[in-house]
Amino acid sequence: MALFRTAEIIKASKLPPEGVKLSRMIDAVYFLPIAYLGVFATFHMHFDLLAGDWDFWIDWKDRQFWVTVTPIVSVMYPGAIMYYFWTFYRQPFGATLSLTGLLVGKWITVVLAWYWWANFPMNFVMPATMVGSALILDCTLLLTRSWMLTAIFGVWAFAMMFNPTNYALFGYSHQPLVIDGQLMSLADYMGFTYVRTGTPEYIRIIEVGSLRTFGGHTVWISAFFSAFISMLMFTIWWQVGHFVGQSFFWVKGKRGKMTRMNDTMVIGSDEFAARHGTPDGVAPGARVTARTAATTLS
Amino acid sequence: MNAKNLFKMCVIGSLGMATLGLTLTFTASPAAAHGERSQEPFLRMRTAQWYDTRWNPQKTAVNDEAMLSGKIHISEDWPRAVVKPNRTFINVGSPSSVFTRLSSKVNGIPMMTSGPMEIGGDYEFVIKLRGRLPGHHHIHPMLAVNGAGPIAGPGGWMDISGNYKDFQNPVKLLVGGTIDTETAGLGAGLFWHGIWGILGFSWIGWFMIRPMFLIRARVLAQEGGDALLNDPVDRYVAYGMLGLVFFIIAIGFFVTDSQYPYTIPLQAGEPKIKATHLQSDLTMKVLNADYDVPGRALRMTILVTNSGEHPLRIGEFTTAGIRFLNKVGVANNMDPTYPPEIMATDGLNLEDESPINPGETREVKLDSRDSLWEVQRLMDLVHDPDQRFGGLVMSWDEAGNRHINSIAGNIIPVFTRATQS
Repeated sequence: MALFRTAEIIKASKLPPEGVKLSRMIDAVYFLPIAYLGVFATFHMHFDLLAGDWDFWIDWKDRQFWVTVTPIVSVMYPGAIMYYFWTFYRQPFGATLSLTGLLVGKWITVVLAWYWWANFPMNFVMPATMVGSALILDCTLLLTRSWMLTAIFGVWAFAMMFNPTNYALFGYSHQPLVIDGQLMSLADYMGFTYVRTGTPEYIRIIEVGSLRTFGGHTVWISAFFSAFISMLMFTIWWQVGHFVGQSFFWVKGKRGKMTRMNDTMVIGSDEFAARHGTPDGVAPGARVTARTAATTLS
Repeated sequence: MNAKNLFKMCVIGSLGMATLGLTLTFTASPAAAHGERSQEPFLRMRTAQWYDTRWNPQKTAVNDEAMLSGKIHISEDWPRAVVKPNRTFINVGSPSSVFTRLSSKVNGIPMMTSGPMEIGGDYEFVIKLRGRLPGHHHIHPMLAVNGAGPIAGPGGWMDISGNYKDFQNPVKLLVGGTIDTETAGLGAGLFWHGIWGILGFSWIGWFMIRPMFLIRARVLAQEGGDALLNDPVDRYVAYGMLGLVFFIIAIGFFVTDSQYPYTIPLQAGEPKIKATHLQSDLTMKVLNADYDVPGRALRMTILVTNSGEHPLRIGEFTTAGIRFLNKVGVANNMDPTYPPEIMATDGLNLEDESPINPGETREVKLDSRDSLWEVQRLMDLVHDPDQRFGGLVMSWDEAGNRHINSIAGNIIPVFTRATQS
């Protein structure tokens, strides 16, 4: 068995060379301007509404809520996008597409909104990254070819790897310092020193709650909790993807009965014509003939 | 393209050009205030009563230090419609972080995080600032109350000269060394975002170099299509990518952990700040008050008793950060740096200006009259859901000692022009 199956796949698609060329143009037009921009714009909005402040501000990145909320929110949209790309194309990049899209959106915001417009230093509003976790999720789906196993193992790793991945970015901000005789982390001090008129300190939702047993290993307890909720969220959003991503036709059969056809690829096939006939106004066999003509070109 | 469509395109294009032209012609001007006038009068008059606010100095340069200081009295007549000040934060109202805040003390206690304030209590705040962004900025002290929102204090102008590129905000670490909060960790953040970005886009790119959608969809629809699309090379790449991701995460985590061996979690404590209380030899009780809408005046009758040993003269009524003074107030409490747009130096009138002698009880008719009531939109009191007013009355003895009373009471609007009382 050949290592690369690209040639086999193209042949199996039964498209003429012009069709293959056209399909690549469709790939380019559909993927970059439509799918990618659409996903990054909508996911960015979704993420900022649900986990925005934890991701905007360095003094919100705590051991409990940041670690808990971010993976849960980050896995929702990829769940639906992964469903779509996997179910219809067997493409295992839904999560990476979503989270690199979020990354692009985040950096546009950091540079244009926070730095250029609002004059905050970029390190103060540095976003977290989930791209590593997304790669784990996509690789798990590709290797297991099962969304359930992906939900159990991939999503678990997705959430558990969030803190270690981002510790490399934000570890420095937990260095201690003393201001006016009071111990603070550097992140606390940055939140204090950069004046945010509309965001007083009490707005922070940090370090509140009971996820703090097991000898103070709060961050891992939060990550575990986050992983379980993320599994649930992934499952729900995979089904959301199923709900909004399905395509079907209502077809009028030979006896005039309307039937819902979920398998859109079968429409126009010989098998379909044999089973259901053809719509009014189309001569039996016309569609089959047209299709046959197209396939024989290859 | 037919003529009709061409015409439509021309119209749309012209509208677009006109919009662009208008945008360039009428550029947005910088905000000169923070919407404090839009806050309801009962909120501004009966929650935080600001006094002795100072912006010092009013002209600074980038990296120079300045001070925003003053006092707040938490009104005893705190409105029912506003959440009580159980969690508050003394903040700075400024257009972005034009200053960095170096220190914030309330009654001498650092207030880095939020804490409760006592109704009827008095708090002196001192906020140390460092000039960051050059410009002419309108700066307010603010009391942010959880559940109620920010309550803006009086706004004053502060100028910062110099160049932002020269700005530095160094801070000493407990474990030694100094870092600049403007740039700390920026390189690491950019580096790691770059690494993950490259990996993520490479993964997507790996699938972009081959047919992505239409061809795969057609194959998948066929029997056995799923198995055909399970390309062995993708599985090898996925195994490699998984290993690489875990390896990079581990490297990043352990290197950072060894780089910063001493770390602490975010601090979420609560300062417990003891309130002081207003001192006065006078006791005051509002007997009645009305608000002359067309005359733009607050007229009140107060029953005043002097239980001290010195005669006292009333010199100032201040509410919502707006000051109404008479000659006594000007002589004793005139701060030339206080923003003139929120101060009426001839705005307070007393029917009987003689001092209130020790042991005397007198009905004092006090009239604060100025266009500031309208300009500062305090006349909107008539539209409030809670028709009461509040403020601070200041009196002085011959030696210049100040006595402050917090007053509050019902207020009746007078909608038609009335004769002055």
